[in-house]
Amino acid sequence: MYNFDFVKPATVDEAVKALADDEAQALGGGQTLIPTLKQRLASPSKLVSLTGIAEMKGVSKQGDAVVIGGGTTHRTVAEEAASAYPGLADLASRIGDPAVRNRGTIGGSLANNDPSACYPAAALGSGATIVTNSREIAADDYFQGMFTTALEEGEIITEVRFPIPQKSAYAKIAQPASRFPLVAVFVAQYGDGVRVAVTGASNNGVFRWSEAEAALSGNFAADALDGLTVASDDMIGDLHGTAAYRSHLVGVMAKRAVAAAS
Amino acid sequence: MSVAQPLPHDAARLHVTGAARYVDDIPTPRGTLHLAFGTSPAAAGTLTALDLDAVRESPGVVAVMTAADLPFDNDVSPSNHDEPLLATDAVHYLGQPLFLVVATSHGAARRAARLGRATIEKSTPILTIAQAEAADSRFEDGPRVYARGDVDAGFADAPHRLSGVMEIGGQEHFYLEGQAALALPGDNGDMHVHSSTQHPSEIQHKVAEAIGQHMHAVRVETRRMGGGFGGKESQGNALAVACAIAARATGRPCKMRYDRDDDMIITGKRHDFRITYDVAYDDAGRILALDVRHDTRCGWAMDLSLPVADRAMLHADNAYHLPAVRITSHRWKTNHQSATAFRGFGGPQGMLGMERIVDHVAHALRADPTAVRRANFYASGGDISGQKIQTTPYGQEVDDFIGHEMLARLEETADYAARRAAVDEWNARGGVIRKGLALTPVKFGISFTLTHLNQAGALVHVYADGSIHLNHGGTEMGQGLFQKVAQVAASRFGVPMEAVRITATDTAKVPNTSATAASSGSDLNGMAVRNACDTIRERIELHLAQLHQCRPADVVFKNGRVTAGGADYSFAEVAALAHQARISLSSTGFYKTPEISWDRIKGHGRPFFYFAYGVAAVEVAVDTLTGENRMLRADILHDAGASLNPALDIGQVEGGFIQGAGWLTTEELVWNDKGALRTHAPSTYKIPACGDRPEVFNVALWDGENRADTIYKSKAVGEPPLMLGIATLMALSDAVASCGEAYPDLHAPATAEQVLAAIHRARGA
Repeated sequence: MYNFDFVKPATVDEAVKALADDEAQALGGGQTLIPTLKQRLASPSKLVSLTGIAEMKGVSKQGDAVVIGGGTTHRTVAEEAASAYPGLADLASRIGDPAVRNRGTIGGSLANNDPSACYPAAALGSGATIVTNSREIAADDYFQGMFTTALEEGEIITEVRFPIPQKSAYAKIAQPASRFPLVAVFVAQYGDGVRVAVTGASNNGVFRWSEAEAALSGNFAADALDGLTVASDDMIGDLHGTAAYRSHLVGVMAKRAVAAAS
Repeated sequence: MSVAQPLPHDAARLHVTGAARYVDDIPTPRGTLHLAFGTSPAAAGTLTALDLDAVRESPGVVAVMTAADLPFDNDVSPSNHDEPLLATDAVHYLGQPLFLVVATSHGAARRAARLGRATIEKSTPILTIAQAEAADSRFEDGPRVYARGDVDAGFADAPHRLSGVMEIGGQEHFYLEGQAALALPGDNGDMHVHSSTQHPSEIQHKVAEAIGQHMHAVRVETRRMGGGFGGKESQGNALAVACAIAARATGRPCKMRYDRDDDMIITGKRHDFRITYDVAYDDAGRILALDVRHDTRCGWAMDLSLPVADRAMLHADNAYHLPAVRITSHRWKTNHQSATAFRGFGGPQGMLGMERIVDHVAHALRADPTAVRRANFYASGGDISGQKIQTTPYGQEVDDFIGHEMLARLEETADYAARRAAVDEWNARGGVIRKGLALTPVKFGISFTLTHLNQAGALVHVYADGSIHLNHGGTEMGQGLFQKVAQVAASRFGVPMEAVRITATDTAKVPNTSATAASSGSDLNGMAVRNACDTIRERIELHLAQLHQCRPADVVFKNGRVTAGGADYSFAEVAALAHQARISLSSTGFYKTPEISWDRIKGHGRPFFYFAYGVAAVEVAVDTLTGENRMLRADILHDAGASLNPALDIGQVEGGFIQGAGWLTTEELVWNDKGALRTHAPSTYKIPACGDRPEVFNVALWDGENRADTIYKSKAVGEPPLMLGIATLMALSDAVASCGEAYPDLHAPATAEQVLAAIHRARGA
């Protein structure tokens, strides 16, 4: 780890000011950033911890949406969103391991946009709104390829608004060593249609499987997906699995998510 | 008597409280330096330049050494003098040490090591078996062939014949404690080395050569390892030698431990194998002729590859009598880490090849694989019905076979027949989740195949207060050897366990030891300790017999008391008495295994003193849409002879089985096409965890004595249970076979993707 300064502001405004410095870096739960620093793959001059900002924490139901503060841990989401949005809570309860769930935050996960992270599938699959200190971004505009998002330098995710679906579920096959999704699919059924988001599979990060959405919007049943496949061209092929295997798993996981949706 | 008691591991309390001291925990003198290797970024080529200026200028660096700076032998090979500590001109694998950094801290050494700039004129690495065969890049001048009977005639007359190929992956040892060494320079050129090694005498030998001393100037001590599994039989040499050279050069203590990623990238692993077979059999599945070929990638150095590949050949029969067989073994030299010893030492790969063949034959006949296994078993050792005793393909008589009896017992205790029917019924419903059940045997030969290694020494002192100091050449790596041997010592003197002090393995106490390997630790060292104790005891008996006018044989050592001719002493009183009578209370002990002889070129003889047996029945579930799978239940019956310690032995059986199952399911080593190991941390390489064990896990020991005259009629238990894990792979094959008509042709490791591919094959897709 290289040397850096550390600040822990108490408000979003203070955090935004602190992040205005060159080479300043926001720190959520640190589940990705700290190992990166330890390997000297990043050298920020200043870390701005977002864990001391009370207004960025917590889960609440506001009308037809669940609103989650950007600094809320996975464990808190798993516990406090369970009644309002069980599919989302279930996803949060299965991220990584207990240590990751106790430290990692939804804002950190979405800002990092790891192609094998769980939360991007929930956000894109729910058509969530990413709220920052300066604007609101629709999930469809937010995810822009692996590790790439619509966030500007110094922009902080303060909360995420998830419209509550009629039914939803998350199906995941974990890479056995790291427990990251090898492939995972989030399915959510809304009054105006079905959304299907896939993580872990594509070289371009999380994506919506539009053919599946169209089929399921007409008939929300696993067999509505019979015969549908995703092309393996853009799938990740690595030491954990070939592109063809991942492509196959997208179909299997999508069906399982539909079957499990409640 | 303490022997046969299920006592806990002697250091269990220290292990779980963190108080057990490993090499890196030893308090070091002020000024101790720390070492790290700079390694090759290329798998093959010629090192033309090495720019180390930035390394030297890095904070905390005290010295940087290359091959040119080494004072004496530049070699850490355990066999063939083909393993330079630091590369000279040729580079043989990606991760090979090129230079050595000596610095004031572990971190400073590692950081500096990253700053070296090697210029390597790259050549095309030899990575695959096909590439090695095309280049004839191999160890020995050609393949080894062991054969017996008329194989060609067997094929000509046979009613059925099939052939196949199986790929078997390697395995990372993943000892909890990584490789580590600490060298403390003495005066007059002496060197005291603490090493996490299974083979202190080998460390002593290599360190002496490297610092230009005789072995008498080097003392190697090993209190314990945090796991070895064969990975510390030869792979610790580089660290100990590096520490000794640096300590000699700087006059300061030097310590080295590999970070986990470095450990996985630098050190050797289990050999991977390709098994190609052509088999002839009759309607009952009895094998009439077998032609099997082993191809193994040995990596860049010979290391222990020849005896490993030999042992694979010696287990190509597993528990089955093969009337006509030819085993051909190619040992390919490739640009990988030097494949090395790993629990089973080639035996598991050879045995798995045979189990695969039996499974394939059973599938072709649509027969229950267990019936085919039974049909091919060696004749029962206790009942050969007047026939000539059957022999292995290498000519050893199998006179102790208990496979029939163990199989029958396990079928009963595991409720095999009913569960077989239940699994078939479940699968007949045709759901997404399929089940599989398999019951496989293990017959494993016990002894080093290099006959002269089958010897051991011990040193026992009885102090005047009746306490006993125990030392022998075996090393403790968590397996419980020290406790089992201490139980022997306590039993010989009839004293409680507290009277016996277990001490670190030390080349200054017991010289010229063999590695703690080949499952031989208790067999060899237990006997050596028994002999040392008996020497002392006989001296005491003689003295007490004279004192009390009785026969020496009437002196009894029991429950901490010694009785002779009506007199009754505590053991401590007897020790003091003997001391006053000027009787030596210290003795060495020595043991060599009898009756063994072996010609590895002819492939004939009696390499093994006896065989250890086991049977495992494993039930699995497979998700046929993803290939994900898990064990549901495992029932094991294992033969440890008359167990020295059933608690420790059952622990070895449980751990061995799980390690074997991990090897064949989730543990996948992946190298890219440049020869870089991509799986070098637990985030990418999956060993079984507690949650991966089967929910129902019944392990029992076979109740029987070793027919051979071993220590208290016990049997070796270190390696054999690993091969019980083969039942897991065969159960997966069984589950997959229910999906279609074709043979699943399942390869190892059976990762989820591999299982899914096998399902497609079974379905003929």
